[in-house]
Amino acid sequence: MNTELKNWLWRSLTLLILFSMGAGLWVATKKIDYTWRWNRVPQYFVYHNEDIKTVPFDGRVTTIDKIGETSKITILSENDELQSFIVDVGTERVVVDEDLFAGDSIGSTFSWRVGPLLHGLWVTLWLSAASSVIGLIIGLVTGLCRVSNNITLRQLSVFYIEIIRGTPLLVQIFIFYFFLGTVLDISRIVAGISALAIFAGAYVAEIIRAGIQSIPKGQMEAARSLGMNVPQAMVYIILPQAFKRTLPPLAGQFISLIKDSSLVSVIAITDLTKSGREVITSTFATFEIWFIVALLYLLLTSVLSQVIAWVERRLAVSD
Amino acid sequence: MIKTVDLKKTFVGRGQTVHAVDGVTAHIKEGEVVVIIGPSGSGKSTYLRCLNGLETLTSGHIHVDGVDLADRKTDLNKVRREVGMVFQQFNLFPHKTVLENLVLAQTVVRKRSQAEAEIKGRELLKKVGIPEKEKEYPIRLSGGQQQRVAIARALAMDPKVMLFDEPTSALDPEMVGEVLEVMKQLAREGMTMVVVTHEMGFAREVADRVLFMDFGKLVEEGTPEHFFNEPKEERAKLFLRQVL
Ligand SMILES: Nc1ncnc2c1ncn2[C@@H]1O[C@H](COP(=O)(O)OP(=O)(O)OP(=O)(O)O)[C@@H](O)[C@H]1O
Ligand SMILES: [Mg+2]
Repeated sequence: MNTELKNWLWRSLTLLILFSMGAGLWVATKKIDYTWRWNRVPQYFVYHNEDIKTVPFDGRVTTIDKIGETSKITILSENDELQSFIVDVGTERVVVDEDLFAGDSIGSTFSWRVGPLLHGLWVTLWLSAASSVIGLIIGLVTGLCRVSNNITLRQLSVFYIEIIRGTPLLVQIFIFYFFLGTVLDISRIVAGISALAIFAGAYVAEIIRAGIQSIPKGQMEAARSLGMNVPQAMVYIILPQAFKRTLPPLAGQFISLIKDSSLVSVIAITDLTKSGREVITSTFATFEIWFIVALLYLLLTSVLSQVIAWVERRLAVSD
Repeated sequence: MIKTVDLKKTFVGRGQTVHAVDGVTAHIKEGEVVVIIGPSGSGKSTYLRCLNGLETLTSGHIHVDGVDLADRKTDLNKVRREVGMVFQQFNLFPHKTVLENLVLAQTVVRKRSQAEAEIKGRELLKKVGIPEKEKEYPIRLSGGQQQRVAIARALAMDPKVMLFDEPTSALDPEMVGEVLEVMKQLAREGMTMVVVTHEMGFAREVADRVLFMDFGKLVEEGTPEHFFNEPKEERAKLFLRQVL
């Protein structure tokens, strides 16, 4: 049998296995009598919000003018003041000369609003981005301390790395929120970002250290022999090469960070996970929402890994 | 140009003490080509690396152009830019193109403008015979070409002295010639050079003086004629019998 055909058979087998797993899930949910309500999901991304306008005073409608898509309702109050309200065409609930009491609704406006899932996605995105950037800086500095000749710098960085890597992130988040949050009076969002950044920083530091140490000694010597000082040699020679080598593990670290950021939902930051939980309490569409949340995380992580793969290809020109 | 006085370098590690350089006193004059030879492990590389401060000395003195490297107040970076070094393993910067390899230190250390540094870089690439490779990355050059780029990179800093640590030892035999040719040309132009090499032909032809080292000590020194034809020391005779 030729290899081409063989490969296609194996590919079909993959599809078949995936398909039967899906079918299995479907049958299983049938058994527990779960009604899927996928149609409820989209409204938690964006929804059309109705904003009902009311009159704040007693009065009488004088005119209703159509201006394009909106209507301008002008009302004369009891103390002879004219005030106009803008509502969408077709939503008017009053007619000209109608007497109104304070609190009566006169119409409404519609607007698209970001739903909790999209909002949560956004929070997760910038939370991860902020803590990645800070984590990278912390990691870079710590990594450099880790390979420096100064004993204190080296010991302090080892101390930090060991503590962070030896304790669970969840516990660190609690400590940041309850202890540091109280002592330093920082908000939950700052506590969350710091906890994630400091957590990532410890791992980044080790990656950077390994990257720097993987560069042959001759590179530093060549740079020094040309008269560069250590910082110059680091910036122009060692770090660019180390960065290229550490890109794959760094990418892995930042992808982990996106996923780990879901833990900050325990200190009531409305990230994607927390939003998902909140939506579930109002829809009871438990299965759907968790699947969607998983899919959104997958979306974030795969976009990141695509970006990194692109950077890697760019850097590969000197290979 | 370079004077070393009772230079000692001791490595201590794993309970062992190695006297890599053990009291070397030598004087390298301006415009002179000095070739250092000696058996493996005799401390030639270590001596050379001491000359531009890549190794810190254990004791003794090195004067480079009147500046004492052993003096704590000496800025080694300033000394190094006057002393070019060429390594056995080339040590080109792999993430930079050939021209960038030549330009970088000029702009960063010598503070030359990019344009000025590029002109100088191209000039030197022409001199070492590979002007067409300026946009290439080092990995795509042959060993001989890489070593010539490394020489050009060191020359770009306008050094007063050039140190060569076995520049041809990592090369395939057919590429040795092209690198030695560049070095000979440099010697003809009057560059002060200290060369560690196993190329006895080069030593005979180009050297003004040969230093023979063994066990970290300077055992014999003299003109090539003297050293290759009538060495006094027993160890030098033994070494020459082995290599010639
Ligand atoms: N960084 C170091 N740490 C410990 N010992 C070292 C170090 N560098 C060199 N040595 C030792 O110092 C001695 C001299 O080494 P060196 O490299 O100077 O010899 P060499 O004459 O250049 O030899 P070769 O011809 O093989 O290059 C050797 O015994 C070596 O093991
Ligand atoms: Mg050597």
